[in-house]
Amino acid sequence: MKLFTSFLLVFLIFGLAVGISFCVNEGGEAYPAVEGADNALKQAFAAVLEAERAGANVSSLIAELNEAGGLLAEAQIAYRTGNFNEALSKANQCSVLADGIMSDALSLKGSALADVQRAVMQALTFSMVGGLAFLTVILVVWRWFRRAYAGKLLQMKTEVASDVED
Amino acid sequence: MWKIEDYKVAFAAIGLIGTLLFASPTLGLVLHLPRGEKFSELWVLGPRHMAEDYPFDVKAGISYSVYVGVGNHMGSSAYYVVYMKFRNQSEPLPNATAGTPSPLPPLYEYRVFLQDGKSWETPLTFLFSGVSFVANYCTVESLIINGVAFRVDKSVSWDAEDSGYYYQLFIELWIYNAESGTFQFHNRFVSVWLNMTG
Repeated sequence: MKLFTSFLLVFLIFGLAVGISFCVNEGGEAYPAVEGADNALKQAFAAVLEAERAGANVSSLIAELNEAGGLLAEAQIAYRTGNFNEALSKANQCSVLADGIMSDALSLKGSALADVQRAVMQALTFSMVGGLAFLTVILVVWRWFRRAYAGKLLQMKTEVASDVED
Repeated sequence: MWKIEDYKVAFAAIGLIGTLLFASPTLGLVLHLPRGEKFSELWVLGPRHMAEDYPFDVKAGISYSVYVGVGNHMGSSAYYVVYMKFRNQSEPLPNATAGTPSPLPPLYEYRVFLQDGKSWETPLTFLFSGVSFVANYCTVESLIINGVAFRVDKSVSWDAEDSGYYYQLFIELWIYNAESGTFQFHNRFVSVWLNMTG
């Protein structure tokens, strides 16, 4: 009987210790996962913002960010309500999605910058060539006009009027 | 008749206007006009998508719904967090003058990314459980928001002036500041007053 009680006591203590460590580990694993997902999403958003500032169309990336944001919100809520397994799972899904968004945003930013550079070069070429051509035409027309104007003045007859009575 | 000097001025003006027209595509890329005021919107609407018929007299076990929305006019894409909080009459609301949020912990939350000029709206359902009335006090054990149960354990005393047990479900808007890398209270909150009746 004494042996049985001792065995039961040891079993209970062991079970309790395993249970506590399991709970602590669950919460302990979930917390950095949620934190990591939060940081990954912030970085992904910063990359999308940079791509947008570079002139890229980020509509599809914003939709993906909303998907990842939904997962992070679910992870945060699950963590708050003590559902650590769900928090861990949702946070991991969010991190994977956020990493994908970040790399997409970086490549989109690169292509947007190249597009902007091309557009600036085209606009600059148009402005310089067009502006110079226009000024040249104006100058040529002006010189022709000035000559024509001078000729017209020279061809004018001088009319003398007299009001002296005969 | 115009003198040659007048024509000269006219040609110079045409030349200047034409040059500016040709330069406009480049100027458009380089010069940026100042934008208007930057702001965000936060709203709560009743169950029929209108600013009316908000839930007020509430009972345990009955589901109520409202719509929560956010609008972005910040001039670029923004990352928002919308926090749902629940208080009794003695607990603090956000301080609009100081621009500080309520110190109460958030229950439910939404994370929303919006491009400039876009808005977002979602239904929010909530119900109460474990509501008890003892003497002049009402206690709410848990609040279920969108199917997720939160233990709140909030008590409120009978408000003799307004005849009711008043709670407030309020919604705070936070925005992510990419420069500092932190979320900041955006000094916007909306709320729904609730009178617990049974």
